[in-house]
Amino acid sequence: MIGAMTAWLDTLAQQHLDAAYNLGRWLLGNEQDAADAVHDAYLRAARSAHTYAGGNARAWWLAIVRNCCLARLSARKREVPLRHGDDALAPACVTADTVEEQAHAAQCRMLLAAQLRALPEEFREALVLREMEDLSYREIADVLGVPIGTVMSRLARGRALLQRALATAAAGAAQEEKHGM
Amino acid sequence: MECRHAQASLEAYLDGELGRAESRELEAHLDTCEACGAALAALDDLRRALREPALRHAAPAALRARIAAAAPPRPAAARAPAWLRHAAAWLLAFAAGGACVYAWTLRHDAQAQLAHDLFASHWRALAAASPVDVVSADRHTVKPWFAGKLAQSPPVQDFADQGFALLGGRIDYLDGERVPVLVYRHGQHVIDVFVLGQIAAVPERSEQRGYSLVAGTLGQQRAAVVSDMDGEELRHFRDVLSGAK
Repeated sequence: MIGAMTAWLDTLAQQHLDAAYNLGRWLLGNEQDAADAVHDAYLRAARSAHTYAGGNARAWWLAIVRNCCLARLSARKREVPLRHGDDALAPACVTADTVEEQAHAAQCRMLLAAQLRALPEEFREALVLREMEDLSYREIADVLGVPIGTVMSRLARGRALLQRALATAAAGAAQEEKHGM
Repeated sequence: MECRHAQASLEAYLDGELGRAESRELEAHLDTCEACGAALAALDDLRRALREPALRHAAPAALRARIAAAAPPRPAAARAPAWLRHAAAWLLAFAAGGACVYAWTLRHDAQAQLAHDLFASHWRALAAASPVDVVSADRHTVKPWFAGKLAQSPPVQDFADQGFALLGGRIDYLDGERVPVLVYRHGQHVIDVFVLGQIAAVPERSEQRGYSLVAGTLGQQRAAVVSDMDGEELRHFRDVLSGAK
């Protein structure tokens, strides 16, 4: 019975596995934790598949993934305060040497990734769901369990913070270049 | 529109979540206001940077395999006694039946939802100042307009000689997809033709509050026709449409 009941869930999970993993990766910061969280989410979804009450299945699945990620995050905060995931070890400020080695586009991408990682969770997850997964406001609201108005304000705040951080970083880089550092 | 108001709607506009009338108002403001135009361009730059595929992490193959392996295993019944095998067969048959009913219910729900969305889109368009975003009876204007906004633009044809004049087109969101809508007029009736592409099955016919929906085809693509015309006229139009080249 369980096999028959969860066939649709397997399809759903496989179809949106990249979305689930990407969300996990941006919330948890490293490959192992993100993969473990998605695996947890699948098991949890299989147990509660009978409670799925219709509506957007992708949002339902991503909401479970997010809950599993948040559970891991809070466990991590309890165990090792201020521990960073390995993604956070990627250089947040690019040194002058690598600037010359790296193509400009790759450098911008690293900078943006670093700034996105530095954003508070609530803004980061909203932006990841909107921009990378292309979810509508309604779907994001369902995943996060907040009203649409909150989704809009978090997106606006997240974008404004990112724009400001990027502008500051760009100004800093220009300054460094000027001083020949 | 004031800048303060425009700035507040820029993001909803960029995210495709601003109503049609408000979008038009905002576009009119953007034509005249440099500052708001620059703010929109900055937001668009950020969006493009965030949508860079390299920033999105694809699931590793190992995880995919792990999830597939976590799917509940099939019960091994090779050595089970005959009565147990029979019982298992009955149980499986029962489960398969249940799954079919379940799948049918899911499909049925999806169809009902899609029909609901199609009617809602039609009503929203009727309530707006104009049911079309690009006004033209000339298909050579409508088709390029779609081509600039969608990966695939639908075949556009005017059937004025058969009583169905092309009014124009618009783009709507269905099931999270951008969908082209061709708008025709027949007497006092406005007819929406949603070109569905990959969108899940639409019901053969459906009715809500005096409006009707029928499934049809346009060129090689599936389409849904929504209007307040009576059933016979609607079916006639569907046949005209499916004859389109």
